Amino acid sequence: MKRHVGYAFKAVVLLIVQANLVDMVSLRGITPDLLLIFIVYLAVKEGQTYVLPWGFFLGLVLDLSTGTVIGLSALSKTVAAFTAGYFFSDNKITMTLATYRFLLLVFLTAFIHNAVYFVIFTMGSDIGFLGAVFGVGLASALFTTTLAILPMLVTARVRSSP
Amino acid sequence: MIRTLLNILIAFKEYVLLTLFLVISILLLAGNDNRQLKAVRAYTVGVLGYLQDAVSVIPNVFTLQHENEILRELNVNLSDEVNRLREARIENARLRAMVGLRDEAPFNLIAADVVGKSLLLMRNTLTLNVGTKDGVVADMPIISEQGLVGKVIAVGEDYSLGQILLNKDFRAGAKVQRSRVDGILAWDGGSELRLTNVPKTQDVRTGDIVITSGYSNVFPKDITIGIISSIRQKSGSLFHEISVFPAVDFPALEQVFVITQLPDTARIAVEASRPAGKQ
Repeated sequence: MKRHVGYAFKAVVLLIVQANLVDMVSLRGITPDLLLIFIVYLAVKEGQTYVLPWGFFLGLVLDLSTGTVIGLSALSKTVAAFTAGYFFSDNKITMTLATYRFLLLVFLTAFIHNAVYFVIFTMGSDIGFLGAVFGVGLASALFTTTLAILPMLVTARVRSSP
Repeated sequence: MIRTLLNILIAFKEYVLLTLFLVISILLLAGNDNRQLKAVRAYTVGVLGYLQDAVSVIPNVFTLQHENEILRELNVNLSDEVNRLREARIENARLRAMVGLRDEAPFNLIAADVVGKSLLLMRNTLTLNVGTKDGVVADMPIISEQGLVGKVIAVGEDYSLGQILLNKDFRAGAKVQRSRVDGILAWDGGSELRLTNVPKTQDVRTGDIVITSGYSNVFPKDITIGIISSIRQKSGSLFHEISVFPAVDFPALEQVFVITQLPDTARIAVEASRPAGKQ
C-alpha cells in the first residue's frame, strides 16, 4: 500500500512540475515528457500489468488538465505503458534502470508514444503527420531521453553504494 | 467453461487490460462534446489550478530578464503612441459626431495571471487564475498588451484554461490592417501562424500588421495578431502562403486580460436561420 501511495505522490509532483516548470527548459517549444519517464520507470520496476492502469490514468489526468481532446494522452500513454512493460524482466530490474538500457527503453517508448499521439492529433488539421512525428515527436523523445539520464544515474549510484 | 474463460483472461491479462483501456480511450475521444466530460474537465482545471498557483511563485530569472527588455522597449513605443493616439482620439470624436456613428462599447477586462503553461507535444494551453467567480465564461477572448493571446476553453470556479493562437484547433477571422484584406488565421505546428484564404490577386506585403476582422463571433475587431513575416507563391494554388509572426511573446507571457465579451447570440441565431442554399 505504502508503495502505491509513494508512486501516486511522485506522479502528482511530476504532473505539477510538467505543467509549471518544464516550459522553463523548453527548446523552441519542445519539452521533455516527465510522466513518460515515470511510466517507463514503473514498467521496468513493476511490470506490464501494473503499469497499464497507471499509463491510462496519468494520460487521462493530463487530458483533463489541458485543452486537447480527452482520451488522446490516455490512449498514447496506455500504448507507451504496454511497450515499456513488454521489456520487464523480474531479475534485471536494477540492471535495466541503472544502465543505458533504460535510456534506450525511454527513447523507444517516447517515440512510439509520440507517433500514436500525432496520428490522432494531426487528423483534420493543417499539421503534417510526418513533420510532426519526425520533427516535434523525435525531438521531444530525444529531450525526454536526455532527462532520463537523471533517474538512471541516481539508480546507478544507489546500486553501487555499499 | 467459466473457469476456462477465467484462465484465458488471466493468461492474457496484459492484452485484456490493453484492449480495455484502448476501448475506453477511444470512447472518450468519441465523446468529447459530452457535457459530463466538460464538467469533469472544469473540475480538474480547478483542482490543478490550485496546485499550479502554489508552484508559480518560483520566479524564472531568464523570463524576467527577457520581459524587462521587452517592457523597456514597449514603454518607449507606447509613449510615442500615446501622443499620436491623443491626436487621433480628438479627430475620431469629431468625425464620429459628424457621421453619427454609434459609439462602440469599450471592452470590460478581467486581469489574470498565467499560473501554468502546457507546451508538451503541441498542446499549447495556459492556466489562468480567474474562473466563474470572476465572471469568466468559455469562449471569452484573451489578450495581452501585445495583442491577441487566444480564448477561454474551460472554466472552473477559480481557474480557467486558455487555448492560445499556437494551437491546432485555433481559428480566427483576420484582416491585413493596411489593405483590409480578409483571411483566416490558423496554425500548422511551427513557430508562426498562417493566414489562409487570401487570393494571389490581393494586396499583401511582408511587414503588414494582421488584426482580428470582427467577423468572428468570439473575437472583437482590431486586436493585433502579428506581422506578416513571409509570403510565398505556390504554383498551382490560387492563394498566397502567408506566414504571420505572432505579436505576443508566448514563452514570456505572465499576465493577460480576459475580455468579458460573449458571442452575440442574436447574430448566431440569424446566421443559423439562413435558408440552405442562399448565401
